[in-house]
Amino acid sequence: MRFGIFYEISVPRPWENDIEHTVYHRCLEQVRLADEMGFHSVWAVEHHFLEEYSHCSAPELFLTACAMQTKQIRVGHGIVVCVPQFNHPIRAAERAAVLDILSDGRLEFGTGRSATWTELGGMDANPDETKETWDEYTRTIPQMWTNERYGYEGRAFRMPTRAVLPKPYQKPHPPMWVAVSSPGTEIDAAERGMGSLGLTFGGFAEQEEKVQRYRSIIRNCEPAGAFVNERVATVNFLYCHPDNETGIKTGSRLTGSFGYLAAQLLPVREVHPTRSYPNPGLLAATRQQAAQNPGEGVSAPEGVCIGNPDRLVEEIKKWESCGVDQINFLLNALETIPQEEVLESLRLFGEEVMPHFADDKPATTSQPREAAAAAAGGD
Amino acid sequence: MPINGNADPGQLTRYAPTMASLDTEALTLPSVKVLQVIYEIDDSVMADLLPPALHPTIPPTLHVIGLRADDGPLGAFTLAVVRVGCRAAVRPRGLPTRAVCTAGDAAAALEQRWGFPITVGEPVLRERYDRQSIEVNDGNVAVLSAQLIDPVPIGNGDLLYTAGMHIATVERERESKPWLVQVDPEFEVSRADRGQAQIDAFDSVFWDAPDLRPVYPIVASYTTANITLPRIRYICDPMQPAISGTVAL
Repeated sequence: MRFGIFYEISVPRPWENDIEHTVYHRCLEQVRLADEMGFHSVWAVEHHFLEEYSHCSAPELFLTACAMQTKQIRVGHGIVVCVPQFNHPIRAAERAAVLDILSDGRLEFGTGRSATWTELGGMDANPDETKETWDEYTRTIPQMWTNERYGYEGRAFRMPTRAVLPKPYQKPHPPMWVAVSSPGTEIDAAERGMGSLGLTFGGFAEQEEKVQRYRSIIRNCEPAGAFVNERVATVNFLYCHPDNETGIKTGSRLTGSFGYLAAQLLPVREVHPTRSYPNPGLLAATRQQAAQNPGEGVSAPEGVCIGNPDRLVEEIKKWESCGVDQINFLLNALETIPQEEVLESLRLFGEEVMPHFADDKPATTSQPREAAAAAAGGD
Repeated sequence: MPINGNADPGQLTRYAPTMASLDTEALTLPSVKVLQVIYEIDDSVMADLLPPALHPTIPPTLHVIGLRADDGPLGAFTLAVVRVGCRAAVRPRGLPTRAVCTAGDAAAALEQRWGFPITVGEPVLRERYDRQSIEVNDGNVAVLSAQLIDPVPIGNGDLLYTAGMHIATVERERESKPWLVQVDPEFEVSRADRGQAQIDAFDSVFWDAPDLRPVYPIVASYTTANITLPRIRYICDPMQPAISGTVAL
């Protein structure tokens, strides 16, 4: 089992007194501590226009800062929106390669397509098209990385033959992932030999079923990239405190705030009926979380990592038995939890929970680049 | 935390009915035609259109709904409703500002049993092969003209209709005051189309939504559905956040 931290970068109103500056720098402080504690990776979303919920519109810049301030922790695009109105595929490939170079080969490359009208409408993107464009990106970007020159004539874009530069530091290229929020997307990930980057808060039974489906399909996959990245990551909340009741109570404030914010956004499905978005994805799941857990009770929902170290060990063992390889933790939302408490929670988790789990050594700068890719999940 | 509405509920009740009882039986309307045209609206007034209990969506939205029943327990009727998209705590909702219904049993039932802010009038829902439209005139002036253009079939399960929060003066526990009445109909869709949304006329004063300006079309849908208007299960104090001000009946 590996552990990561996961950033939406939630900024509360009012947006004055340098609050965005403060929140960004608090996140960086958390990342430095996570690196010291031996966390495997830091992930940052790409979201646009999502007021308070996520002010993380340029994750490649945030992740570059993370890489510059840390030694071991891997940096994960979680995810790059693979829709032309958001990111041209050539630019996505170029930026990722630069980040991989600057981080000495610590990049994890997540792909996805956005799930809100707030974002897709804001960028004037057609929700009916996003699955198709995502598919093209996942097949073409690895080609841009691994071929000296590359040309393409496709549905979403075309390019005459050019050298897309620079090339990633990891060879053949960084591990690739797919954001999995809609049911069935884990199958898309498996069929393309990509890691499954879970972004919903399902229970154990649901997750176990998804993992089994993923593992069985990936055995016969046709990899989109140059290698298979068979990994299953899921997202969770983290608040660890010596006193279980305090941990659950404080952690419930975090889960409640996050779910409440997510519910204010406009999922595609609510206003733009389309088969491309059969369910609201992350937003619905977090809303359900909030409804179950409004922040006042002292019981934690199944699998949520809030409470004392003993409880967290118990819950993570259950995730492990479901076949999950990695858990990525959200640490805060709306600055609900003071920074010192977030750092204390991370420290306690690192000291008392992480030692209970097998530690796959993270890729380091001293490892050969091929080994770094393999350690990150490539084979 | 998210932006709350800041409208005085007293200002939102100009067309709101008085509901003498909330003990409403469910009622199914068969084979109803439903046109829904959704637009983004000018965000500068989004909080002014909602009471403190509700949050505007991000971005703020307008739902224009045209509905025609050719038969059924309430007889034949046509209804036009203008709603502001919102959230009651974490739940997706729409707040009707005014509705226009043809005269008859339906107008009275929708007003008294489900709290629709009904004005009797002559809305017209037109169905053509290349478009569907809902139109309402006030005298000789068009106060609403909204259309779906170039319909294409979609799956019956692709649509999501959000519940309404209908502001009504409710007589309850010897007190008469405005409440938000949750109306969450069930839609059993048998045919669904989607197309381009277009609003050609919208008089925000008529619709009791001053300064509401539709600015950006999202999408329109047109369905045939059996609609079950529900029993009233929840009401919400319009002055309190819905998460704490909701009362189960």
